Amino acid sequence: MKIKLELFGASRDFSDKDHLEFKIKDKMEIKDFRKEIINYLKKKFKGNESFKKIVESSAFCSEDNNIINDSYKISRDQKIGIIPPIGGG
Amino acid sequence: MLHAKVVDITKEKIELSKAEKFIASSKCGALIYFVGTVRDLNNDKKVTGMTYDSHDALVIKSFEEIYQDSLKKFKFDNIAVFIEHIKGKIQLGDISILIAVACKHRNQAYELSRFFIEEIKKKTPIWKKEHYENEDSEWLEGNPIQTK
Repeated sequence: MKIKLELFGASRDFSDKDHLEFKIKDKMEIKDFRKEIINYLKKKFKGNESFKKIVESSAFCSEDNNIINDSYKISRDQKIGIIPPIGGG
Repeated sequence: MLHAKVVDITKEKIELSKAEKFIASSKCGALIYFVGTVRDLNNDKKVTGMTYDSHDALVIKSFEEIYQDSLKKFKFDNIAVFIEHIKGKIQLGDISILIAVACKHRNQAYELSRFFIEEIKKKTPIWKKEHYENEDSEWLEGNPIQTK
């Protein structure tokens, strides 16, 4: 399956684009998708610890704008947003 | 009654006059405006500006949920709430957020205004990148989003 990971906040430093693209296995849970992202960043940025920390502390949101938990199964091609720790105002 | 919007600084800016019009009502005797702006110093670093990033759809959803929560929590009659948050790069002193509330009484208005800004800090997906004098910039750490 193809996942377009939309980047926000500090995660925008992961790419020059506003998203990353992943090919993942069917029904992967968010907790495993999180590991995929960390592995990708580890390779691309040679173990950048602050990027790893951002992913570990982020939430994710589905295409229909719901925050999804670690056990959410990704069962189709879709956009997923990464939501790093927030701080507006 | 709620007005909620993410304002793209490349197209427009946050204006108090719009909030004044929205919350004006003869049923309300207390109006409070909370205005957040960019200040010049943070953690001993001289700040020159701030970039705000936003997940627009989730931000609006969050504002609507906070409004619904406020109705349940306080049970105030005839309230009006106007919230706008900026998106994009702004300069020192520019407005980043405006929360205007109108209630029957002043204690209600103070309580409601405070409730909104504190909940937004915890639940609304907005991020800040500070820009410094030496042309460095840095995303501020923030806190994990709270869903309920």
